[in-house]
Amino acid sequence: MAETHRINDLDAKALWLRRQVWDMVIAAKNGHIPSCYSCTEIVTALYYGGVVRYTPGQAEDPQRDRVIVSKGHAAMVLYPILADIGYYDTSELNRFTKPGGLLGMYADVRIPGIEGISGSLGHGLGMGAGFALAARHDEQKHRTFVLLGDGECYEGSIWETAMFAAHHKLDNLVAIVDRNALCILGKTEDLVELGDLAGKWRAFGWHTVEVDGHDFDAVLGALDQIGKTGGKPLCIVANTVKGKGISFMEGRSEWHNKMPNADQIATARQELGLV
Amino acid sequence: MDAAVKPRLMRDVVIETICAAARKDKDILFISADLGAVALDDLRRDLPNQFIHAGIAEQHMIDLASGLALSGKKVFCYAMAPFITARCYEQIKCVISSMNLPVTLIAVGVGLGYDHATLTHFTPEDIACMRALNGIEVLTPADELVAAEIAERCIANPAFRYLRLDRQVFPFLYQNNAAQVLEAGFGVVRPGTDVAIVACGALVHKALAAAETLKGQGVNAGVVDLVRVKPIDGAGLAKTLKGYKSILTVEEQLLEGGMGSAVMEAIVDATGKLDWPVKRLGMRDKFEVVNGDRDYLHGLYGIDTADIVKATAALAK
Repeated sequence: MAETHRINDLDAKALWLRRQVWDMVIAAKNGHIPSCYSCTEIVTALYYGGVVRYTPGQAEDPQRDRVIVSKGHAAMVLYPILADIGYYDTSELNRFTKPGGLLGMYADVRIPGIEGISGSLGHGLGMGAGFALAARHDEQKHRTFVLLGDGECYEGSIWETAMFAAHHKLDNLVAIVDRNALCILGKTEDLVELGDLAGKWRAFGWHTVEVDGHDFDAVLGALDQIGKTGGKPLCIVANTVKGKGISFMEGRSEWHNKMPNADQIATARQELGLV
Repeated sequence: MDAAVKPRLMRDVVIETICAAARKDKDILFISADLGAVALDDLRRDLPNQFIHAGIAEQHMIDLASGLALSGKKVFCYAMAPFITARCYEQIKCVISSMNLPVTLIAVGVGLGYDHATLTHFTPEDIACMRALNGIEVLTPADELVAAEIAERCIANPAFRYLRLDRQVFPFLYQNNAAQVLEAGFGVVRPGTDVAIVACGALVHKALAAAETLKGQGVNAGVVDLVRVKPIDGAGLAKTLKGYKSILTVEEQLLEGGMGSAVMEAIVDATGKLDWPVKRLGMRDKFEVVNGDRDYLHGLYGIDTADIVKATAALAK
């Protein structure tokens, strides 16, 4: 029976997750640290804050809630969690992106707990709407959570699905927008203005709330509205800081997939409490 | 086939077959991006929970289909040919092909089928682009009985498939052997000895007309209907063509990567050689907006019956 799981110290778990991601990326010299750090509290809240229903060790439990990290460059933020809840051995984390390893830079369905392939932006919400519609079709109660990047919301397919999900009253579907306000080349508002994203989701018929994406109480409060939206799908626009937790990365677009040098690694390890 | 039985639109036959199966299997879902059919009206009326209107939003339709297929559904996506191929090619590649999901893409109006709609509605490249996808099966019936067999196969054995349908009614090509034709991937619809004309879809019928004309000129041309463009049984096809002196392929596609290319590749890959003089007839790069019906366009692009006659006669010399 898939159940929610709630731990007491979510801050400690988020720090644990940042450390895990750091070690994986530095060892592999590959990955997207800042994109993972902007959504660290969000995914920690989902899996350890009593939101997502799952059965430890049973990734295929049909009653599980589905989680899709549609901003695929940050899908690796789930890897330590999925190992932690027993979907695969933690030794896989040491083989991240290595030949023969299970875990790649982008996620795919070979990995237990990963519901769909990612990497190309704009697919996860439509896929999630498929999960949500199938659940309703089969009279199943599981929910689908899709984590989107704010830059991903430039993709037109997101809005095609947004319209569809609202029309079909998919209140078993949740979109969480990681609003870190950065793309690879700079600030979203300078490049192509996204503007009032929450207002846009509301205009598309979603029950939309805007929160501080690093504040567990705020994120969990928003997630608590699932099923209390008068039939509307739920969108949470989570205002975040890209690179949160590493001083020299925070809010700096150039760190999207750049590898730190030895001095920067030393600084970051101190800030993460790894030394 | 009983002469009293009138041929029908392939799309109606295919959708009727799917609808009949869907009545017994609630996991069969049919998604349309706003394309209709007479048979679809029945499905929408009788099985509203198994029909999904995606909106005129093909990219969303494909992403949605992936989530449904990953949830165990047997999904059929349906749209006009240009919009279920190039319009959402990236989605098909990323979420259907990459995960090898059992989704059937049903295209209507392939090639120059939407004649008066002109360039935006033409798919002179759909065979090339769709057969390039990892793991796909590409099927292109020229006869409603084969189309129905394909639909049955898609229902019984769901897989990643692209089904190319014409929007015209064609005469029957087969009687009781449609299943065997589908199994082989091609059918000899007119035996011959001099030149084998290999075609698919609408141009099979033009090839037959050409072969009849050629008979009067003393050329004994055969016609092969290539139902499955990917994968092709190259060894089987080479064996069938063995008795001919030369091969003409004819298609309503740009020559680059199209059906003729697929035929040559399959034969060479299977046998290591081409034993015949060969001519590929198809569309060339330069085409522009021109008003006219499909027959007129065939003439314009050099793939009409008269062009097939001319090319075949030249090969037979």
